[in-house]
Amino acid sequence: MSGLICRLPSAMLFAAIACAFAGCASKDDVSPADVEKQAFEDLRTEIRAVIDDLAREGEAIALVNELSEDLNALRETIAKRRQRVRELNADYDTTRADFEAFFNQVDKEIKSNKRQVSEKQREFLAFMTPDERLAISKTHSKARDAAIRNIQTI
Amino acid sequence: MLIALFTILLLGGGSTATLAYIADTQDSVKTVMVKDDRQKAALSTLKAMKKRTNARNKYVKRASKDMKKTLGQEDINTTDIDAIWAGYFAEIDQYDHDMLDLRWELKEHINREEWQEIFAGD
Repeated sequence: MSGLICRLPSAMLFAAIACAFAGCASKDDVSPADVEKQAFEDLRTEIRAVIDDLAREGEAIALVNELSEDLNALRETIAKRRQRVRELNADYDTTRADFEAFFNQVDKEIKSNKRQVSEKQREFLAFMTPDERLAISKTHSKARDAAIRNIQTI
Repeated sequence: MLIALFTILLLGGGSTATLAYIADTQDSVKTVMVKDDRQKAALSTLKAMKKRTNARNKYVKRASKDMKKTLGQEDINTTDIDAIWAGYFAEIDQYDHDMLDLRWELKEHINREEWQEIFAGD
């Protein structure tokens, strides 16, 4: 399915997503990844519409691209952590120190990630005006709303 | 959407509740263990794990809501963000500690063979 989608022109993918939300196809035909892809595209379109200055628009789009990659990386990290903790738990002889070492490592990663995300958030605040931020946050699309619901369950 | 993204990236999503799944093994415990006092004690510990996870989830929901509210303000105060984040991770540390205590309590009720069977898929 994903291989087929990769070969589809983006306009066709957009049409498939729009069709799924309009009820003319089963929502099962569109994966959460496709919805998220469309949501990010909607967000980029909105940024282009709201920010007049080309340089700032470019920075905002670059930030959105980074956030999209960060989200994918977070998903992978969560999957790996879950797998590791299951391995530790399944072993009857795992010591408490083994678990604590794992949790300490996770803590370090989360704290380091927090610094990077905070940095991006500061950048975002620096190159977008409050009015622009408000305009972007007020705009909704079905894909964006659906993607937010997906993101919140990670 | 940007606010939801920053919130999930800052708080780390489900990566902070990796031991929660243990509480969902009641059915396996009932299948693998003989119905006796040990099974009853194991199920009681799993119930305590579920309760602790529910309390953690409630806290996470509240912290996410506070974070979204703070990030959505026109004049974002980074001190507020840091305070929410620090409180959230103090709770997560305590959660991990409590869940490990409960895991060791669970081990007191389940022998090696039963444990391996209950968590065989992992």
